[in-house]
Amino acid sequence: MIAVVVVRDGLLPAGGAEAVAECEGRAVLIGSQASVAAEALHGIATQLTLIERDTFLPGAIADELAALLANEPIVVLPASPDGRDLAPRLAAALQRQLLAGATAVTADRVDLVRNSGRELHRVVPDNRFIATLHPGARGVVPDSMLPAPAIKTAKSSTSKVVDADVIAVHPPDPATVDLAEAARIVSGGAGLDGPDRMRQLAEIALQLGASVGATRVVTDRGWAPHERQIGTTGVAVSPHLYMAFGIAGAVQHTSGLGDPAHIVSVNTDPHCPMMQLADLAIVSDANETLDALQALLS
Amino acid sequence: MSDPDVIVVGGGPAGSCAAIVAARAGLSVVLLERGPFPGSKNMYGGVVYPRILDDLIPNWWEEAPIQRWVTRRATMLLTETQALTVDFRTEAWGKAPYNGATAYRPDFDAWLAGYAEAAGAQVLTSTTVTGLLRDDKGAVVGVTTDRPDGDLRARVVIACDGVNSFLAKEAGLYEHTDAKHFTLGVKETLALPKEVIDERFGVRGREGVDIEIVGCTGGINGGGFVYTNLDTVAVGVVLKLTKLAAQATRPEQIIANLKGHPAIAPLIEGGEMKEYSAHLIPEAGLRMMPKMTTDGMMVAGDAAALCLAAGIWLEGVNFAMASGMYAGETAVEAVRVNDVSAKGLVGYQRRLSNTFVLKDHRKLRRAPELVLSDRVQHLYPQMMANIAERMFRVDNPEPKPGLRRILRQERKRAGVRRRHLWRDAFTGFRSYG
Amino acid sequence: MSNRIVVCLKWVLQAGEPDDARFAGVSPADHAALELALQWAERTGGQLTAITVGPPQAETALRDAIACGASNAVRIDAPLSTNSADVAAAIASAAHDAKWVWCGDYSMDNGSGSVPAFLAAALSASQALGVTNVTFDDSGITATRRVDGGRREVLAVHAPVVISVEGATARLRRASLTALRASTTAPVDVVVPIVAMRTSQHTIQPYRPRARALAMPSGANVLDRVRSLTTTGTAVATHHEVETLAPAAAAARIVDALRDWGYL
Ligand SMILES: Cc1cc2nc3c(=O)[nH]c(=O)nc-3n(C[C@H](O)[C@H](O)[C@H](O)COP(=O)(O)OP(=O)(O)OC[C@H]3O[C@@H](n4cnc5c(N)ncnc54)[C@H](O)[C@@H]3O)c2cc1C
Ligand SMILES: Cc1cc2nc3c(=O)[nH]c(=O)nc-3n(C[C@H](O)[C@H](O)[C@H](O)COP(=O)(O)OP(=O)(O)OC[C@H]3O[C@@H](n4cnc5c(N)ncnc54)[C@H](O)[C@@H]3O)c2cc1C
Ligand SMILES: Nc1ncnc2c1ncn2[C@@H]1O[C@H](COP(=O)(O)O)[C@@H](O)[C@H]1O
Repeated sequence: MIAVVVVRDGLLPAGGAEAVAECEGRAVLIGSQASVAAEALHGIATQLTLIERDTFLPGAIADELAALLANEPIVVLPASPDGRDLAPRLAAALQRQLLAGATAVTADRVDLVRNSGRELHRVVPDNRFIATLHPGARGVVPDSMLPAPAIKTAKSSTSKVVDADVIAVHPPDPATVDLAEAARIVSGGAGLDGPDRMRQLAEIALQLGASVGATRVVTDRGWAPHERQIGTTGVAVSPHLYMAFGIAGAVQHTSGLGDPAHIVSVNTDPHCPMMQLADLAIVSDANETLDALQALLS
Repeated sequence: MSDPDVIVVGGGPAGSCAAIVAARAGLSVVLLERGPFPGSKNMYGGVVYPRILDDLIPNWWEEAPIQRWVTRRATMLLTETQALTVDFRTEAWGKAPYNGATAYRPDFDAWLAGYAEAAGAQVLTSTTVTGLLRDDKGAVVGVTTDRPDGDLRARVVIACDGVNSFLAKEAGLYEHTDAKHFTLGVKETLALPKEVIDERFGVRGREGVDIEIVGCTGGINGGGFVYTNLDTVAVGVVLKLTKLAAQATRPEQIIANLKGHPAIAPLIEGGEMKEYSAHLIPEAGLRMMPKMTTDGMMVAGDAAALCLAAGIWLEGVNFAMASGMYAGETAVEAVRVNDVSAKGLVGYQRRLSNTFVLKDHRKLRRAPELVLSDRVQHLYPQMMANIAERMFRVDNPEPKPGLRRILRQERKRAGVRRRHLWRDAFTGFRSYG
Repeated sequence: MSNRIVVCLKWVLQAGEPDDARFAGVSPADHAALELALQWAERTGGQLTAITVGPPQAETALRDAIACGASNAVRIDAPLSTNSADVAAAIASAAHDAKWVWCGDYSMDNGSGSVPAFLAAALSASQALGVTNVTFDDSGITATRRVDGGRREVLAVHAPVVISVEGATARLRRASLTALRASTTAPVDVVVPIVAMRTSQHTIQPYRPRARALAMPSGANVLDRVRSLTTTGTAVATHHEVETLAPAAAAARIVDALRDWGYL
């Protein structure tokens, strides 16, 4: 088994280290400043091949890597945006089965998360396959006793495969940050008593430097536009702070929540899942609490 | 695309039956339904009596998506601590041609609409009718919808848009509508394993139970019901709107009280709530019915207040299906003779009058008022239950009292005047007898 | 040069209603793809073909697309749980001359987001996947897509290309009544796939997270350690207390907590 991890500016993607660990330390790192990223894999990687490349072009990279990976029966990529971009192209170039979105990968069994996180599909794979591994699914603890990995470098070759032209890569910009990237989100659910509450929520969010999110019930009612919907059929977010007002916490909603450091939930039902998830769970009327909060903050 | 002969508004039982009849007779029909599929948002208590379908869909019972066949009907009088039940069961209703069945409306309505589509009607969903198109003489010539380029013209419009029909109102068919003519039905659907339901309700296989209840709605006039589906039980109450508004009680609370009643609680214990829904019922029958036709348009089903809500009966679907069929037949007739004016559509009123649709309503015209009256609601259940309690109680060493004495004493204790009792008995007899 | 535009729509049964076509439909992402494909077709004067791989009931998705303005529709006859590479191969063979292919980023059931990439490979096209924003101009399309770490990659895409978009990128227009009526009888081409389609073989079980390897928790007290171990993605946090407060007190408590945590 070998991991393929796309590196940008020396940074590993979410789930990169886990993919390397899943392959017992063997990996190809490809991208810009791959050697910097290699250092972050101390205690995890055993054998690394580094390919320095300044742009990420999925078609060309798949073409390039095909020769290198031809004798590797199992290739694992993190299911990060770049990994998901590349993995099917690799599978196509190598003519192999793709098993996307795994929680565990072994030679004779792959577990795949399916149906919005409700089901686990257990697959007996072909002899040779490509898999992507869900970030966060396995976790990884660096072993400080592990010797530094053996590092090879390979040259990036040229490919005739055409890709789109990369015009720019924008860093995360706090000013134009949208819901998906917001570090703080204030969110409303069916416990709110009307569309005006969403406007109130927006004002409170402004005070807190946060974006506004909503559940599907709220967007279905037209109280908030669809792009504000968090969850499986909306936007996937990953804030540090998540504040839920009148939200039950259905799995379709929370599966899009990422992994906030702090969750606040105000709900009249102490037993709903959102209250179980919250760091600060307050049983109270969400609407009146919003009134009070707005008064306090302004 | 050319304009259709008939537009049917609403894909409930009335609308689908109208569309089936008109389309089978060769008219071009467009049925407009606001939900994502016919029946998607429709609710009711839970029992249909589809006898009227015998001709339209022969052997419907082999096809219809039913939950259970009702083989047991009970009427319950409840007081806070007592229950008096009349319980009837028959094997006959458990075999073809069957009598009544519990069914889910999203299943039943979608099934019925399938016949309309099969007959050639164009069923267009997620399309809400927003108004009527009229010619310069005021005759209805089509409808407007919420879609772009959404006007549609037709020879005849059949409004089957359900209770509180804004199309019938816009056409001026209702002289006045009054909140006191409506009740609010609310219902919870509780999931329980089929075997548990079978055991608790004493039924097997596809057999099911229909329980109507009086005296379970606190200070608010109304009634309740419990119906069995395959693996859910529907528990609901029907509440007089004006009383509900006057008292600040929430309907959920009234259902909760009913569910907690010692006679009901053991039936539904452990049931997990799957759905909570609410809907208006046109309760006042003849008293509130609109004019059924105007130039270019007919009204059917709940839109025409044809639901029969009279105590031990809560039947709307069969009335809707029948009136829809008759409206469909009338449309066919009118288009053939090329007269879709109110005059050309008189056959509709005639059909309604000559069949159970209006005959039942005429017969039972005083029933809704009687059933919702304060005496029937608040005094009689207590009186009847007390009478039963005393008859069945053993007061030894006292000898058993005579029935007549119990009756008199309990009538007085309940505060019922003899005159009223006689009058109500007479109304009841004239209505139900 | 052909200017064929294709939108790939997957007709999906709703989880929990696996046998019931009434609750089936197309994802918001596919709807967004359809809207953008329509806009692109209008702008370039191209013809838009809607394609689905699925059973006969899936034709409702195609008819809806026709009602919204697609010129024609193709259904490739196959069961739903078909291997993504095969789905892409089948679409590619039905649309080998396609220049602009629009997809949703994920399908709602088995969503792996891989059909669009396989399709790009099969069509020798470039790809722009997981796109959050597109702008049209005369030379082509500029697409912004999400990449790791909240960064955004801006791509200039040229035909042939496969673009997969997130659900919030565009909202599908409503079909006009006339178009809706016409779509109920519009023809749908049915194609039998040339190669045998594999359906995936697997056993299904309820999702349970895998045991995670975690570093020794750091933190001053037990509470913090537990907190560092439990996150929303894995287990339910058990460390917190539920407080019942009047609204004013609740607001004050929230402000305190936000201060403690350093947000205020
Ligand atoms: C295929 C599919 C995809 C879905 N995708 C998504 C998705 O992407 N995103 C999403 O959000 N949902 C999604 N859903 C819907 C999801 O299952 C839930 O229905 C939804 O998240 C519930 O939203 P809610 O918490 O706002 O509403 P509810 O479940 O109605 O909860 C409202 C909450 O408010 C509380 N409350 C009520 N009154 C008050 C008050 N006065 N003060 C405080 N609290 C109060 C209640 O106790 C309750 O906990 C999807 C569902 C399906 C089937
Ligand atoms: C709580 C409750 C319990 C009941 N119990 C029973 C019972 O056990 N047995 C029984 O037989 N009856 C019962 N009824 C009565 C029964 O539900 C109605 O009488 C019956 O549904 C009437 O059928 P309909 O076709 O006239 O109207 P509906 O079933 O109301 O159908 C109207 C249709 O029109 C559509 N529509 C409405 N407006 C528009 C518009 N503007 N544009 C497009 N479409 C529109 C709606 O979406 C709907 O599909 C009960 C009712 C309630 C509320
Ligand atoms: N069976 C299918 N028919 C048509 N398009 C499909 C099909 N499966 C996937 N797609 C397209 O590929 C996108 C991503 O799906 P998936 O790769 O299954 O997550 C969907 O949003 C569709 O646009």
